[in-house]
Amino acid sequence: MKIVVAIKQVPERDAPVRIGAAGRWIEEADLQWALNESDAYALEEALQLKEQHGGEVIVLSAGPERAGSTIREALAKGADRAIHIDCDDLGNRDALGVARLLAAAIQPENPDLILTGLQSDDLGYGQTGVILAELLNLPHSSLILHVEKSDTGITVKRELEEGWFQNIELPLPAALTIQSGGTKLRYATLMGIKRAKTKEVRRVTAAELPVPSEATASLERIALPQKQKTTQILTGSAQEAAAALVEKLKFEVRAL
Amino acid sequence: MVQTPFTLAEPAAFPLVERFLFAALAIASGSLFWRRFGPIFRRILQSKKDADFRLAPVGRRVWDFVSEVLCQSKVIRQRPLPGLAHAFVFWGFCAFALVTLNHCAVGLGVGFLSPEGFFGRFYFFFAAVFAFACAIGILGLFVRRFLVRPRWLGAKLSWESGFIAFLIFFLMVTYLAAFFVPAGSQTITILWWLHTLTLLVFLPIIPHTKHLHLVLSPATVFLSRGSFSRIPPLAGDEDFGLVAGTDLTRLVSLQAYSCVECGRCTEHCPAANTGKTLNPKEIILGLRGYLNEFGPASSEPLLGKHNPPIAPFQCTTCGSCEFQCPVGIEHLPILVGLRRGAVNTGTWEDDHGAKLFLSLERGSNALGMQASERDKFIQKQQFPIFDGTQEYCLWLGCMGGYDPKGREIVADFARVMRFLGTSFGVLRKEKCTGDPVRRLGNDLLFQQLAESNLEALAQNKVKKIVTICPHCVRTIQEDWKEYGTPPEVEHHSEFMARHLSRLPRPSQQETIVYHDPCYLGRYRNVYEEPRSVVSHSGQLLEAERHGERSFCCGAGGGLAFLGEETGERVSHVRAKELVATGAKTIGTACPFCNSMFRDALASSSDAAPQLLDIAQLTARALPQQDAPSAS
Repeated sequence: MKIVVAIKQVPERDAPVRIGAAGRWIEEADLQWALNESDAYALEEALQLKEQHGGEVIVLSAGPERAGSTIREALAKGADRAIHIDCDDLGNRDALGVARLLAAAIQPENPDLILTGLQSDDLGYGQTGVILAELLNLPHSSLILHVEKSDTGITVKRELEEGWFQNIELPLPAALTIQSGGTKLRYATLMGIKRAKTKEVRRVTAAELPVPSEATASLERIALPQKQKTTQILTGSAQEAAAALVEKLKFEVRAL
Repeated sequence: MVQTPFTLAEPAAFPLVERFLFAALAIASGSLFWRRFGPIFRRILQSKKDADFRLAPVGRRVWDFVSEVLCQSKVIRQRPLPGLAHAFVFWGFCAFALVTLNHCAVGLGVGFLSPEGFFGRFYFFFAAVFAFACAIGILGLFVRRFLVRPRWLGAKLSWESGFIAFLIFFLMVTYLAAFFVPAGSQTITILWWLHTLTLLVFLPIIPHTKHLHLVLSPATVFLSRGSFSRIPPLAGDEDFGLVAGTDLTRLVSLQAYSCVECGRCTEHCPAANTGKTLNPKEIILGLRGYLNEFGPASSEPLLGKHNPPIAPFQCTTCGSCEFQCPVGIEHLPILVGLRRGAVNTGTWEDDHGAKLFLSLERGSNALGMQASERDKFIQKQQFPIFDGTQEYCLWLGCMGGYDPKGREIVADFARVMRFLGTSFGVLRKEKCTGDPVRRLGNDLLFQQLAESNLEALAQNKVKKIVTICPHCVRTIQEDWKEYGTPPEVEHHSEFMARHLSRLPRPSQQETIVYHDPCYLGRYRNVYEEPRSVVSHSGQLLEAERHGERSFCCGAGGGLAFLGEETGERVSHVRAKELVATGAKTIGTACPFCNSMFRDALASSSDAAPQLLDIAQLTARALPQQDAPSAS
């Protein structure tokens, strides 16, 4: 099976994010970068499929020079080769813009399966994978926890609301967006990193791809979430207070 | 009639036939020896070269040789009675070397020591004293092995050992008997032949029994890496640790063949004593078995037929095995090496291990918490940020920065520093030193953590670090050296011991039992400083096992992060020993030990003693201040 995994480099989980001077993007200096979490699960799913059924795993990432380190990490974990779409204007491309780039790079590869993470930890559109499937005119399914190969195509386990799951059969080729936590991730190994050095990373610039060059979106302003700390005292009898608390937890905080 | 002086009687010249017979037998015995020893010798030489081996400093090697081989210091110190018995056998052999040489020369008609000559007479008596001591010694060891039967020597009785003991005893008897036989008697020739035949039988037995240590262990001790738990750097792009036979280095192979199976390593091993698979002796013998079956050129995995894959991962890296070993085997580089082989190639699959690695790949600490938690703690404690003007960088470590009890310890130690007027600051960002991943054999992650920390320390111009965690101390000072020059680092016990005279004593003097952390004691040779701190705030009690022979808490080697143990918990065994002293308080000097005992004490129903770090013991006597609480 030939599988393409589209991955993204995002700021590290612990990274202290600051807004840049122009107010349109975060301050990138001093940031440390990591593989987007659900992309890590997409990669893992692809590697497990390859281990069971053979084939090839190709990682694909659009991003500036620095994304190379994350691509190396994916190669170290077991991907066979990589395509790096060199572009440093991701902020000017929304999910459609990025999906166009990815689709253009994927087309000549003609893969059996395309996996992406469910959404990115930075912009969090949650649409890139789905639009990508549309652009390539492929059947797709989102929120996938597990993929299994069947005689006719694949069977996938999909997460629904409130602890429900759905099992779907899809023909191949197909595109899936993978949810975090469906499987156990492997750790990077020294041997993997050493082997990755000899693996192919093909670099193309965004301009080289047959994609319209105009911006699909422009970021006007970004802001950090405002921290709020308010205290409310619920009055009334214990029963009334409890009822009010449940009400608030359910509808205001949405914790229940 | 001339009175013959009392001395050794030697046979007169042998007839030519007997000379030839002796020469033929000696050649046969020698070739049998070589037929068995040759392949072993070749397997050692065919093993990979130790890339980091340096003969210098020779002085240290000579000293180790004199102390450990010639003076038998380790043999005697750890087991005085059997140790002395062994030493007498060994010294007997040394003294006997010249006698044996002469004995053989006599057989060829070229004896050079004459019982009539002054030196000959002296030397024969000299050797006789040792022969006597040796005979007693070997008798004692025989009684120990076959009648007392300590379980460390293994459940199976080794008849080979019995036979060898008999041969040694018989060698001594046939030598001593020759003092009581009149010169010229036929008995002398019989004794000579009996002695000779015993020797010639003994020689070929050596290479295929544990008595090979006679030949190898002096070399093993002399050539050992020297420093405790020295993990050699990986050599080149194809070195991932001990994966297969091709990764066994000469030192490892030499050590594998040197094991004398005395079981001291097992006797002190926390894993072997609590029902785990790991037995350090079996690891070494497993490698020997591997070398015998597959050889050093094989690509057969080392973890498999001869060593169970789980065993190395049950090691707490407490180092008692290496510390005790009398023949110079360095268990830790081997155990960690086997882990490196499995982890660096990704063959080790363990959910907890993978979780630890992933949280350190993506995050900053081994506890898998958000780095912002550390920021909040620093703010709450009002710790100054290190800016190059302060004397010390207070290194929090994962336990000190994220664990509730570890935070209390750091907070109290900061109070002590503030009281003393010592300036300190903490780093804005700190990553795990890499201790757990270093011991678990993840070289990739360890390198990333070491380099990132070294860079941060250099940027902040840190000159001196002090920390509450002995694991951090060890890793910063020794293990980081592979990737740069770490700043000076010391443990808070050393810092406080230096300033004791300026620290107040508590009014009540309670009894406190001190537990030696492995990484402070055996790894750093710091035993007295924490004890002086404990004595400052109470009456020091010692557990039965303490100091160099202290028993591990079970947390080291990354095991604190690997989930439930099989068998009995190491921490419970140790906590019981500490409680048994009847002390009111258990004093610890390592946040990992502290956390292990906290859990162990909580699970016992008895009234548990208090559990406090030495920093907390000290801070109790400080005048109250409005310090923010740690939690």
